[in-house]
Amino acid sequence: MFKIEEFLCYETLYPLLTLIFYCVLAGYSYQTSDLTRWVVGNSFLLCINTCIFTLGSTFMAERAYGCVRSLIVSPSHKLGIILHKGFFTCIAAMATVIIGFFAGGLIFSVDYSGINWFLFFTAVVTAMFAAAGFGMFIGIFGLITDQMHFVLNFMSYVLMIFCGANFPIEQLPPGARLVSDFLPLTHSIEAVNMLFGTINRYQFIRLLLREAGIGILYYLLSFFLIRLIEKVSVKKGAMEVF
Amino acid sequence: MKGLKVIYYTALLQMKCSFARPMFRFCLIANPIVNTVLLYEMFKSSDRGDFVSYVVLGAGLMALWSCICFSSAGDINRERYSGTLSLIYVAPAGFSAIITGKVIGNTILSMVTFILSFLTAKILFRIDIKVSHPYCLLLAIFCAVVSFSMISIIVAYLLTLSRKTQLYMNCIEIPVILVCGFVFPAEILPLWVRPISYILSPTWAVKLIRLSVSEVWNIKEFYTVLCILIAVTAVYLVIGYFLLKLIESQVRVLATLEVS
Repeated sequence: MFKIEEFLCYETLYPLLTLIFYCVLAGYSYQTSDLTRWVVGNSFLLCINTCIFTLGSTFMAERAYGCVRSLIVSPSHKLGIILHKGFFTCIAAMATVIIGFFAGGLIFSVDYSGINWFLFFTAVVTAMFAAAGFGMFIGIFGLITDQMHFVLNFMSYVLMIFCGANFPIEQLPPGARLVSDFLPLTHSIEAVNMLFGTINRYQFIRLLLREAGIGILYYLLSFFLIRLIEKVSVKKGAMEVF
Repeated sequence: MKGLKVIYYTALLQMKCSFARPMFRFCLIANPIVNTVLLYEMFKSSDRGDFVSYVVLGAGLMALWSCICFSSAGDINRERYSGTLSLIYVAPAGFSAIITGKVIGNTILSMVTFILSFLTAKILFRIDIKVSHPYCLLLAIFCAVVSFSMISIIVAYLLTLSRKTQLYMNCIEIPVILVCGFVFPAEILPLWVRPISYILSPTWAVKLIRLSVSEVWNIKEFYTVLCILIAVTAVYLVIGYFLLKLIESQVRVLATLEVS
């Protein structure tokens, strides 16, 4: 049931304050007043709440209600259960990112004058597609572990560190850069940052294709992995472990 | 004496119970490590000479506050969920002694975050933090434990009145880190935010810890901040006392301890 105070606190105030915090921190650490790239990066990171925590906790919620056993024996594909949630989650994540982008822009005086809005929205849609795939992939592990709070929180930090939202990924060691390359958001954040400078359309499309490719990779991985994890969870009897 | 014994044993039990929870372990162990990495990478290119103190102390403080939010504040909800809130509320040991013990236990255990952020910075980035005045740092840490415990007690009391504990404990985490200047000075915030910063005791606790590791030693400023911290914490103590009385009467009149 929709509750206004929950929406205001959790979906509006909390993400906005998180964005403000990281932008103020960036302004202080980099000693700059042009916070465009941090507004972009952190507004994209706002999708973590919905794509990672909501999708990732699907089986955790089912377990809390005692439904995992019924789901396992049901003939429907288990990915469908997450995907049912995924569609609206994607839309909510897109709305959060766009609102965060505009709110952050207003607070930190981002200049939108030269931005190509069509390319921006394309980048947002691609990023949310990939992030939802990643959230779904993580969520599958909810069948075999009761430590999903730990996993999801850890993954949110992994995205925060490795996707280049708060500092350039060139600063990371080569091995870590490889991790960045296979995470959602990395390429779309780079693409949107490009919209505030000189746009190289070929490079922009290449980045979005890579982002979409990463999304597809996670959907495919989830598709193949869920059967294996389902078997492991039956074998280990981990379906109802709290 | 009996009250102190209750506080001591509750604190011990609370440390064991908290450490058993995965979310607390995340806040206690993983959070300071990842925060140190994130802050270090963000401050690495800055020309700030004192950036190490912001990285190590900032990461430790952020993780400490997360532990407090998700444990001290969340304990009320856990007791309610387990059906034991009313039991500890009417226990002869006293609700306030039990809550104080829980909060002190959590806060002391959460101090591990400082050690972990220091070790992360040293092992991963080979950076060292020079403590110019170790005794002042110990004093500052002791005051921080007391002040963080006091604010946690007030938050825990307030959350007794609501069932939306999970929502509120998520919502108090970032605002306090932001306005209290855990990773940047509160003075860089807009003027209208600063009064909020100044009435929150963590602002002064953070300032005191930072002053005690600062290479530029200003004894007058250190003792001024210390006095302000003691005064603010004393005000919290008074507020906490009256809040407990008010909540006690509300809970008894409305009978909403478990259903509010």
